[in-house]
Amino acid sequence: MALLEVIDLTKDFGGVAANNRISLEIEKGEIIGLIGPNGAGKTTLFNCIVGYHKPDKGEILFKDKNITGLKPFQTNREGIGRTFQIMSISGDLTLLENVMIGSFCKTSDRRVARQEAAEILNLLELQEVSEAYMNELPVATQKRVGLAMALATKPELLMLDEVASGLNPKETEEIVALLQKIYGMKGLTLFLTEHVMEVVMPISQRIVVLDGGQKIAEGIPQDIANNERVIKAYLGDKYVKGRKN
Amino acid sequence: MPIKTLKDALSFRDLPVWERIGFILFIIFCLIFPWITKGGFAQAVMIQFLIFCLYGLGWNLIGGYGGQVALGQAKNVGMSAYTVALLMVRWDIPFWVSTPMGVIVATVESFILGSFLFRLRGHYFAIATIAVSLVWQQLFINWNFVGGARGIELPLKETPNFLYMQFSSPIYYHYFAFLLVMGAIFYMNWFRKSKLGYQLRAITSSEDVSESLGINAHWVKVKAYCITGVFAGMGGAFYTVYYNYIDPFSVMHLELSIMIALMTMIGGAGSMWGPIIGAMILIPLDRYLGAWLGGRGIIGVDFMIYAVMVMVISAYEPRGIWGIIEKAQRKR
Repeated sequence: MALLEVIDLTKDFGGVAANNRISLEIEKGEIIGLIGPNGAGKTTLFNCIVGYHKPDKGEILFKDKNITGLKPFQTNREGIGRTFQIMSISGDLTLLENVMIGSFCKTSDRRVARQEAAEILNLLELQEVSEAYMNELPVATQKRVGLAMALATKPELLMLDEVASGLNPKETEEIVALLQKIYGMKGLTLFLTEHVMEVVMPISQRIVVLDGGQKIAEGIPQDIANNERVIKAYLGDKYVKGRKN
Repeated sequence: MPIKTLKDALSFRDLPVWERIGFILFIIFCLIFPWITKGGFAQAVMIQFLIFCLYGLGWNLIGGYGGQVALGQAKNVGMSAYTVALLMVRWDIPFWVSTPMGVIVATVESFILGSFLFRLRGHYFAIATIAVSLVWQQLFINWNFVGGARGIELPLKETPNFLYMQFSSPIYYHYFAFLLVMGAIFYMNWFRKSKLGYQLRAITSSEDVSESLGINAHWVKVKAYCITGVFAGMGGAFYTVYYNYIDPFSVMHLELSIMIALMTMIGGAGSMWGPIIGAMILIPLDRYLGAWLGGRGIIGVDFMIYAVMVMVISAYEPRGIWGIIEKAQRKR
């Protein structure tokens, strides 16, 4: 049984097919990368699964339950966590309190929420800044806080939207290591969309490629790196022809 | 769980020492006020201050912590005030029975309206709350059963009567209002540390992010709006027995809603003490200045001073006077 199953998902925006009959399956415990050039439909697919957009056609099954059209807070309660490219959160609250908001998803007890939030901050090596405010922190740390908040809701499937955007190579390396650590410890299933290949290639067990709203390839990272359609989508026809010569 | 809740409500340990000292001074001031003042006017202003504290503390929930510009607090006050007045006048039902009914009416009305209005966001929501308030006021002005524009007058009992909250001295009203405000403060102290408090603040910064954290933003806002209704309902019920007279211009007026919102914003919306600070400054200013200038035939200047103050403070620090105080404390 697949953990997440997307069947023939279609989403139009005023005549532009952002997602066109996309199907994919994610098994429990997998790390799946979703890549594609700008405008390929990655974020739309994410938003359809999580519930920010309602698909025009198709179905989304999570643990065999049809979750098509559920609202984001409902899909979260089903077990899908999600981070944003920019996680705008409350500047009036400390990091610990922000993460507590995530913990409150599963408990009403403030003390339990506080305890769990502190544990997650420890896991993400943020304990030293737990009393700091969001606007006092660098982008890399803010990204980790976003991750901590999503983790606090205890998801089974964690969807990461451009977790490395805006980070320098060293910070990118660190966040990849952190993702691997979380994956190992929590037994999560990760689904990440990313521009930065240095993140997707080493970490993903399988990669799905979108272009122009359609799925153009799927496979292990090595195959994807050599796939002609993928290279064409990223670098254009000329590059592919040049390679053949 | 109830013991933990009570502990959270009564414990101010997480606040800095100077805040706790300020709170104790506030309590002492309220307790001794009737004994250190002689004038009836001063005591009346003090009771008005306490009523506005109650309104403001309630509005702060949805307007401050929740960040929703809800300009309809007056209709909640009015709903409860009218329910209490009607029950007392038409069916002779004592204050202690009619007040819970009034609060329930205000809360149910908030629930029904909130369920619809919170489908709107931002300015649209604010405009809708104003529109609804105006509709309610017009209905009450033209509805004979509730006294129309003439309002309702509560008959005076021959002797002071605890059941109907009719006392011979304003001191009793003062202490009753003080108790209500203390209850509201303890509630808010629990609230700011509660799940609902955190969720509401998360929604203020981003509804999309908070939904991804399992928060049903619509329902959380409706809940907060209902609690705001409870506070306003208590205030409205007290207002009725204190003045023994209500009409659609005193308890249903848009001006009252705006006053409550502005007062909280000046004091510091989204902070524990903001509404109290706002009321502490604006109510005496409004009443004394209004009386003083009105006595000299200069009508309306007090409103101008009031408006300039709002502009200056909000330009300097959007989080109001409490924001200024906090900034100063952090610099130390």
